Amino acid sequence: MSAPLASPPATEAALLWLVLLVPPLLGLLAWRFPPRRMLPVLLAGLPLPLATLWLLPRVAGGAVLEGSWAPGGLQLHWRLDGLAGLLLLLTQLLLLASAAYAVGHRRATELAERAFAGFWPLLGGLAAALGVIWVAADLLTLYAALELMGLTAVGMMLLPGKPEALAAGLRYLLYALVGSLAWLLGVALLLGATGRLDLAGLAADAEAGPVTGIAMALLAAGLLLKAAVFPLHGWLAPVHASAWTQVSALHGALVVKASFFILMQLWQRLVPEAQAAAWLLGALGSLAVLWGGLQAWRASRLKQVVAWSTVGQLGYLMLAFPLLAGTSAAVASLAWQATWLQLAGHALAKAAMFMAAGNLVLSVGQSRLADLAGTSRQLPLSLMTFGLAAVTLMGLPPSAGFTAKWLLLQAAILAGQWPWVIVLVAGTLLTAAYVFRVFRCAFVEEAPRHDFRPLPAGMDLIALLLALAALALGLGAEWPLALLREGGLP
Amino acid sequence: MSLSGELLPAGLLVLLAAACLLDRRLYRACLSFIAFALVMALAWWRLAAPWLALAEALLGALLTGMALLHGLGRAGSPSPLPPHDHHRRPRHQAAARWLAVLVWLALAGAAVWGVSGSGGLIAPGDGARRPLLAAGLAIMGLGLWAFAHHLHLLRRLLAFNVLGSGVFLLLAGLAGPVVEVQGLILVGLVVALVGSVLGSALLRRLHERDGRVTLGDEPEAGP
Repeated sequence: MSAPLASPPATEAALLWLVLLVPPLLGLLAWRFPPRRMLPVLLAGLPLPLATLWLLPRVAGGAVLEGSWAPGGLQLHWRLDGLAGLLLLLTQLLLLASAAYAVGHRRATELAERAFAGFWPLLGGLAAALGVIWVAADLLTLYAALELMGLTAVGMMLLPGKPEALAAGLRYLLYALVGSLAWLLGVALLLGATGRLDLAGLAADAEAGPVTGIAMALLAAGLLLKAAVFPLHGWLAPVHASAWTQVSALHGALVVKASFFILMQLWQRLVPEAQAAAWLLGALGSLAVLWGGLQAWRASRLKQVVAWSTVGQLGYLMLAFPLLAGTSAAVASLAWQATWLQLAGHALAKAAMFMAAGNLVLSVGQSRLADLAGTSRQLPLSLMTFGLAAVTLMGLPPSAGFTAKWLLLQAAILAGQWPWVIVLVAGTLLTAAYVFRVFRCAFVEEAPRHDFRPLPAGMDLIALLLALAALALGLGAEWPLALLREGGLP
Repeated sequence: MSLSGELLPAGLLVLLAAACLLDRRLYRACLSFIAFALVMALAWWRLAAPWLALAEALLGALLTGMALLHGLGRAGSPSPLPPHDHHRRPRHQAAARWLAVLVWLALAGAAVWGVSGSGGLIAPGDGARRPLLAAGLAIMGLGLWAFAHHLHLLRRLLAFNVLGSGVFLLLAGLAGPVVEVQGLILVGLVVALVGSVLGSALLRRLHERDGRVTLGDEPEAGP
């Protein structure tokens, strides 16, 4: 049991909840009056990251804002630490980028008015769900937010309304629903064994034993299914094939990461010392890196390359489990920082890459890699953005991907866990292979002339800004790492 | 509440779940599901959770039932689905699915045994909840098997709903009808409803567009 806590300053708590609950309202507003230009969207959304930036110094140095509320006798808890604050900021920036991109996408293509209007409330719901996931500190809130996130994500994937989108979306829906039942069963076991749902209390009360282990296994199975971790990734690539670019960007950047975040939170509290299980997760992650890279290299369509690369890059995150289980404090600290930096860098880079790929596909009008011939001349900006995003994914300096993989490498060597070193090297080579395959297709000169469709300048600019942000995160990694070093590890 | 008084609804639930999942006639299967949800509501009522009973009757039986019937094309819409399910899963896919189902069930059974055997049940009168636990496990097993085995999408939606109800029963059986459990089940009911509505609507659209009622090639093994 934790000591009774001083309630957080009212201003901070109120601001946090305002930041979490405003996006759905904005979404409803935009549903009624779909925006036509990027500027109003940016102006409406900009106060949110600014408010989070104001909150961040208040959770620096290991400080935590936390509190609870009790609707109808239920005790629900929330806490904002440095990690949650950073993820909240990242989420808001990516949602803003996606919203602005959606407006440009609407201008560049002929979309059904109703589908475009329907995008906004779903976006608002997704924003609220992600925000609540970062700050929730009990299993009931997490369950509700996880389900809201899953359902809004499925809804967004269905918006294009094509038959392939419907079938892929339905498969995603079925898997997500069964994943959440596995989660609920795990929660049932924990609640039956300890009689409580708050994370702090569970960490204190749950005894290491078969029941906690099985509950964690069920929770992990549900979350891994939702996070598309190998071998439960089958639904991911088809779902991206026909989704809108801004939706794919959000999904690859944030939605799958949220499940990983919850898994990490629970793992650190319930079974931090379970080495065999942690090595199993690490092995799954390694297979994901290799299999995702291979499939990305073999894929014939540009969006499939990017989608499979998500499967691979998620694998790096799973390496954190063995590096955190029963290792020295130095190793754990390195692995902890590396994981979240990798998550943030990959989120920015993957959103940029999906948008750059979407721009290329939209301009060319074809989605196969072979149809990219001649784009190096005609669409240099989109291609450069793709390349900049790939720098982060490959882990070349000075990107966030480089810093993260460097830290991971150090942690693995320091802990003497050599298999992960091989995985890191092999993953980098595979990433380079599929990225250069895209470039080889784009630099073919003797190609039949396409008519390249002009796109609004903002669409390229947003993608470029995100790719540059991923690079800048590598150069200025000291600020987020300082926040992570002191806060977060439960 | 006496033990024998709980055995009857628990047994009825298992029977109705089996009827719902084994029937190849889809309309009858949907009706069985509605009856199943109503008995679930009765079980919540007997557990002294009247609000949950109301939510189950409203969300589980009425709205989810309507959504499923609408997906079938019975609730007043043209181009109904064929009333029979003729699809059979190819044999070579069976092994991995059986394995997944058995692993899930074995884990859940062992853990339920661990929790209830160690005297960890909190509220008094937990003897009366034993039938709920047994029924929950049986229904979950049926639901899992059906979800992994059936190809027809409406039957998979039914299986998901039954599986969810089995998990709810386990939840209530393990922790008693405390307010946390009611909150979790309420969220679960809303999610199952939204999932069923979305799934039925998608199934109808798929059927209208190219006449199929399955997902076609299945790239992944079970849950």
